[in-house]
Amino acid sequence: MNGLLLVAGREIRTQVRSKAFVVGLVIMVLLVGAISFAPKVLGGPDSYKVGLVASERLPVWGDTKIEWKDYADEAGAQRAVLDGDVDAALVGGTRVLTDGAIDDQLGLLLQSAHREAQIGSSGVKITPLSMESVGADTRYQKTRSGIAVVLVIVLFMLIIGTPMMVAMGVVEEKGSRIVEILLTSVRPWQLLGGKILGLGAVGMINLVAILVAGLGGALASGLAVDFPPGMAGIVVGVCVWFVLGYVFFAALAAALGSLVSRQEEVGNVLTPMTMTMMASYGVAFYSVKEPTSLVATIVSYIPPFSSMVMPVRSAAAEVPLWQVLISAGLMVAGVVVVVLLAARIYERAVLRTGARVRLRDVVTSR
Amino acid sequence: MSSRRADIGVFWAAAVRDIIGHMLETEELRKTFGTGKVALDRVSFAVRPGEMFGFVGANGAGKTTTMRIVMGVLEADSGEVRWKGGPLGFAERRRFGYMPEERGLYQKMKVAEQIDYFGRLHGLSPAASKKATAELVERLGLTERTKDAVEALSLGNQQRVQLAVALVHDPDVLILDEPFSGLDPIAVDALAEALRERARGGVPVIFSSHQLDLVERLCDSVGIISAGRMVASGTVDELRGAEGRKLRVIVADPKPGWADGLSGELTVEGGREVLVTEEDDDQRVLRAAMSAGRVEHFGVERPTLTEIFKEAVA
Repeated sequence: MNGLLLVAGREIRTQVRSKAFVVGLVIMVLLVGAISFAPKVLGGPDSYKVGLVASERLPVWGDTKIEWKDYADEAGAQRAVLDGDVDAALVGGTRVLTDGAIDDQLGLLLQSAHREAQIGSSGVKITPLSMESVGADTRYQKTRSGIAVVLVIVLFMLIIGTPMMVAMGVVEEKGSRIVEILLTSVRPWQLLGGKILGLGAVGMINLVAILVAGLGGALASGLAVDFPPGMAGIVVGVCVWFVLGYVFFAALAAALGSLVSRQEEVGNVLTPMTMTMMASYGVAFYSVKEPTSLVATIVSYIPPFSSMVMPVRSAAAEVPLWQVLISAGLMVAGVVVVVLLAARIYERAVLRTGARVRLRDVVTSR
Repeated sequence: MSSRRADIGVFWAAAVRDIIGHMLETEELRKTFGTGKVALDRVSFAVRPGEMFGFVGANGAGKTTTMRIVMGVLEADSGEVRWKGGPLGFAERRRFGYMPEERGLYQKMKVAEQIDYFGRLHGLSPAASKKATAELVERLGLTERTKDAVEALSLGNQQRVQLAVALVHDPDVLILDEPFSGLDPIAVDALAEALRERARGGVPVIFSSHQLDLVERLCDSVGIISAGRMVASGTVDELRGAEGRKLRVIVADPKPGWADGLSGELTVEGGREVLVTEEDDDQRVLRAAMSAGRVEHFGVERPTLTEIFKEAVA
């Protein structure tokens, strides 16, 4: 155990001190922070300014706020419209002045408020329609999709990037034969496990920093009020899925990496794994748009694809807990199988320096 | 009388136990690679405590393969490596110091940190590892470079760090593959001294080298391996013994045919006649030489390890 922790500690120290780690982390944090601000900046305004000339305020209801401003005459109101001080001006309760065509939403709002005011003055009382969804709760659809998109990208980068570092580390040790010295003082499983644990911790630091930046940005920008219920569950789920997906791919990356002795060969030997990841990524991205589709649903149960698709699916739409648990259970089983297999391959291949070791040889030999 | 003999017997038994008790032995190691090439064929040798064992042989003769098998990096097809008379396992090897053929260090890791890391991996406590690192850094003249990345060091200094990594846990046995290659004469002396010191401390030291003069100077015993077979082993003197003692005689302006009565060869070197003979009676040779003229040189010619080596692998 001690050896494992020593190896893990070295991996963490080496990574955390490297420039690439610090720069990468800062960029990701800024990017995700910015994304959680963006909807507020880019989205349509949710309040308008309307000038009044010899008019009553209209009875506007709903989420949209209107700030009323009185003007003495039409000329003053016209100037205010042209200067952009107000979005529109209501003159004499009958005409609306705008600079160009009126904003759709404001136009509708003013028309219906006007109608209601007219009818109301004739003594008829109108009860606003109450809205009720009998389908899925779609109130949070936009936010859910937004969160899902960010998750797809973050999970993809971390689940592909961190195992890549594992593979490069394995090849560095094999190629330089440090592994020969290491394996006279620690067991192969300690070396492999320590590396996966250490770099996983580094990935986790990245993930947590990004989540904190995203949630912090959302709270600061006020976007957080649109968060769907169960946001905490989504966040915890993402961390758990990252761990599962990471361990799966990291073990695979280490096993494949141990077959070669040169850094140049890493990309080549990892191709089957990167293809699998790209496929997971593709389905995960599709699940953002179609979280309830059959494809997304099925793939969200299949390891290792589930590690990317399930968290995205459950962010993009509500997924019953039992489904998540079944998928997670299958993934855990997949992780156990891959880790055992990878340990076996690694142990046999990592000391065979020179030409690329054939997978068949290490799997079938004694 | 008989009790005294018994005492002597006990004494010898204890002495033998003591030597075997710290001996590193290989017995009949065999290794064939997948391609069918026989890498090792019944390689056996023994290194006593405090002995420096020089391992020499042409490239590809099997030195590295043998050392890797001793270190457990490679598995022999048959044969055994024994330490202190028993089988050699992971726990024992963890107390060995090893320098592989291709240098293995983390290029981007700092010198002191790296030595300390390996100390910890070999099971030293944090304090003990720090202390050992500080001592080694000082002794190997790396004090100024402790905070530099290994990749920033010269080859010689990298080699010192590599040695420090092999020595940090005060190993029970040292196995070094080509530790002297690529070093300048001063670095060679420093490394040689470091190894001698360990040997004096009772540690068996095995190293391979192509620098035969160095091996001859440093080692108590030598193993010559050729095409996977140990063709000769023993002390340099023992190996010489097999060769037979030779006398080398130079006489200035000798009478022609003076050496006719002696065996050996008369050759001309730099305009002078030189007699190299294996005659047992050196005095007879000397008398013959003196009667032939002025004796400029008369000495026992000791074959160098290079000569022994060439003879052995021929």
